[in-house]
Amino acid sequence: MKRSRLARIAAVAAAVALATAGCTGTEQKSGPGTDGRIAYLDYGDFGGGSNPQANYNPYLDASRLGATEYVFEQLITYDNYGCQAKPWLATEWTWSDPKTLVWKLRQGVKWNDGKPFSADDVAFTYDMLKQHKALDTKGIWRYLSAVEATDPQTVTMRFAQPGAAAFTLFGEIKIVPKHVWSTVGDPVTFPNAEKPVGTGPFTVKAFNPQQLTLGRNADYWQADKVKVDELRFHKADGGGQIDQLKLSRGEYDTNAMFVPDIKKAYVDRDPEHNKYWFPSGGSISVYMNLTKAPFNDTAFRKALVPAFNRQEIVDKAQLGYVKPASQTGLVVPGQAEWLPKDIPNQGVAGYDAARADADLTAAGYPKNGAGKRVGKDGKPIAFSFRVPGSWTDWVQAQRIIVANLNALGFTVRAETPTPEAYENDRAIGNYDMLLGVHGGSCNMFRNFQEPLASDQSAPIGKKAVSNFVRWNDPRTDQLIDTLRTATDEAGQKAAVADLTRVMTEQVPMIPLWYGAKWFQYRTAKATGWPSEENPYAAPSDNLLIITNLRPTGTNAK
Amino acid sequence: MAYFARRFVFFLGTLWAAVTLNFLIPRLQPGDPAEAIVSRLAGQSESVDPAQVQAVRIMLGAPDGNLFEQYLQYLGAVLHGDFGVSYTYFPYSVTHMIGQALPWTVILVGVTQIISFIVGTLLGTWAAYRRNSRVDSVITLGSTFLGTLPFFWLALLLIYVFAITLRWFPERGGYGGGSSPGWSWIFISDAFQHSVLPAVALLITGPIGWIIGMRNNMVQSLGEDHARLAVARGLPRRRIALTYGARIAILPNVTGFAIALGSVLGGTVLVETVFNYPGMGRLLLESVSSRDYPLMQAIFLFTTVGVLVANFLADLLYGFLDPRVRKAETA
Repeated sequence: MKRSRLARIAAVAAAVALATAGCTGTEQKSGPGTDGRIAYLDYGDFGGGSNPQANYNPYLDASRLGATEYVFEQLITYDNYGCQAKPWLATEWTWSDPKTLVWKLRQGVKWNDGKPFSADDVAFTYDMLKQHKALDTKGIWRYLSAVEATDPQTVTMRFAQPGAAAFTLFGEIKIVPKHVWSTVGDPVTFPNAEKPVGTGPFTVKAFNPQQLTLGRNADYWQADKVKVDELRFHKADGGGQIDQLKLSRGEYDTNAMFVPDIKKAYVDRDPEHNKYWFPSGGSISVYMNLTKAPFNDTAFRKALVPAFNRQEIVDKAQLGYVKPASQTGLVVPGQAEWLPKDIPNQGVAGYDAARADADLTAAGYPKNGAGKRVGKDGKPIAFSFRVPGSWTDWVQAQRIIVANLNALGFTVRAETPTPEAYENDRAIGNYDMLLGVHGGSCNMFRNFQEPLASDQSAPIGKKAVSNFVRWNDPRTDQLIDTLRTATDEAGQKAAVADLTRVMTEQVPMIPLWYGAKWFQYRTAKATGWPSEENPYAAPSDNLLIITNLRPTGTNAK
Repeated sequence: MAYFARRFVFFLGTLWAAVTLNFLIPRLQPGDPAEAIVSRLAGQSESVDPAQVQAVRIMLGAPDGNLFEQYLQYLGAVLHGDFGVSYTYFPYSVTHMIGQALPWTVILVGVTQIISFIVGTLLGTWAAYRRNSRVDSVITLGSTFLGTLPFFWLALLLIYVFAITLRWFPERGGYGGGSSPGWSWIFISDAFQHSVLPAVALLITGPIGWIIGMRNNMVQSLGEDHARLAVARGLPRRRIALTYGARIAILPNVTGFAIALGSVLGGTVLVETVFNYPGMGRLLLESVSSRDYPLMQAIFLFTTVGVLVANFLADLLYGFLDPRVRKAETA
């Protein structure tokens, strides 16, 4: 009785639903674009939270929409995988001395409102960041002292101290038009929502909080390289279930999200077209509190390097998507050319518990009768190891790390505080051992200065800027300083090589695996995406990628 | 009249307490909004540039003055209807963001609440009228059964069947990307299609509380002496049920309904999250996770004020409907 009644209700509901629904009919066929271009590509999310508002202010990192990347350009564009600077709005740059950098600008560049681009715009942009510290998200005025338009095609930057170390920061500032931004009352609260004026390959065509459409800029200075008429971004659920479903159905031409079992969920659905590439980012490392025993003992830390089963962490906690990290602090193989030649296996340590056991004993930390490892005071060594409780992949890694340490006779408590408590305790030095992330950028100075420089540290109880392990070593500081001032690549490489030796010989921290940069792409409509075989750019290098895409079926240039 | 005056003073007192707690609670929480914003940007596997944290901190504007001065500033701003700038949607104001989200919630949840209340009350009345019959057991057992289903699971099931497998309805969002919000027919029908699944989810579970409440109240009031007297006097059953049973039984439900309407703003987090609906619930969830204090405070404040106003109105209504309430308090 009850069953049949429910079934009837369901049938009625279904009929009503059918009658009201019609069809959702949002799908469109993709035809060829004009002049052999791709009519449109479907990109993923465009940022800006759950209810995005039009915001194309390129400096408001927290709230601008991702499409800003295609509207505004910078002096150079980094290939953030191989760390090569590509000429962009500037065609060349020279250090006339370590404190003076001269840029030659590209000729014939126009703003998308038709006005010419000139050195005045560049100088205006940099000055604006000086006036409004809230816009200077890269902190370039920590290094700069003045930016001048020497002539319409030349910009001269002067530095308070030799400025080479921060080169990657200066070159990638988005340049905005003086004729628009000089009329804005307060650029910090300027959402730039109406027809943003930039030099980039696309302009904003249509926006609502569900969809953002960019149209090709026909007057772009390298318009012949842009083979896509339209980019469409959709509001998504941040890599949630529905997004993964849409990805697996091939509704995105590219996206950047975490997908469990990507081979089955994505690649196998259409192996000919569905591809992915997850290049390595920053190193995720074991941070030890260097102000406490036994972590203040170099021999102890060095003995721990082979104690962790990196491959097991990669396979089990990271689904095999990433690679074990190099002890040098560099990202290999992308940054391999910065490595000293004599470092075996690019500095990636293998798992060797027996060796860790022997080295610990030799360093004065033997096991007692009960099988517990004791410190120099003769007491068993017990400490805590923390990761943020809500980061499930790190919690998985934590299990392996703690098991590895306990197998060596330590007594390790696994703790999983909230991310806020974890970050606060890490900053003030209230911990024994935990995980931290460092490096991975193309700025070698930043990669080493942030985790290791003593001026980024602080006494226990005070918040450190970024040197959370509280590494304090005059030689490291000196090497970082050399890196800060070296304008030539040979000098920079020598300093980096010595810093990698500090990492391997003195072990301020123990890198375990690399964070991955998520990147999926489809070759049904477009080819020329960066990949493991053709790593000409990192997945986030939007301008490089969009100028390399070609319609599928045409010959790559 | 003293009853109403006392109610009003009580209302003002709780309002002030709500505003004050609303100011204090976020400030007692650990965590730094600037760092939360930047680390959300960077993702967990990228290191964060301290310069960026610094820039965001300047952008947000560090609060000046001690806690008491901040409190006075806050009270003054709230009185002027100024809730500040949202951190997540900088430089858009909190009022702008709430203005965008509010209509979605009010329409979706408001309409389903009203329908739930009407349907639930009617079904509850019917079940009590025909108590211990087949109708009664179907209604009671059915709603008990539906009440045990987790809402989250039910919503996902709807999405799976009607959006993903059958593709009758869009699987998420308040409208498609093809049309922009406005009073166009295309947009309204689009928004309607998007609202069907969340509305159905709410309507399956919504009436249950009203059904059970109404049925039980009415069964009870029908058992009281005046109702028995009416039966003894030989009045028609239907008239007894409606005037002696339903009219009295509906009173607690009316209060409950007022409060439910008042809490529409904050009470929609689950449905809006599952369906990615662009309303207040999702805005609230987002503001909490990104430590967007101004937005969080404004939404909490609106919700609290909504509940308080509804409570106050229900009190007034009670005073009019039931003289005993007024008498009891003045005596």
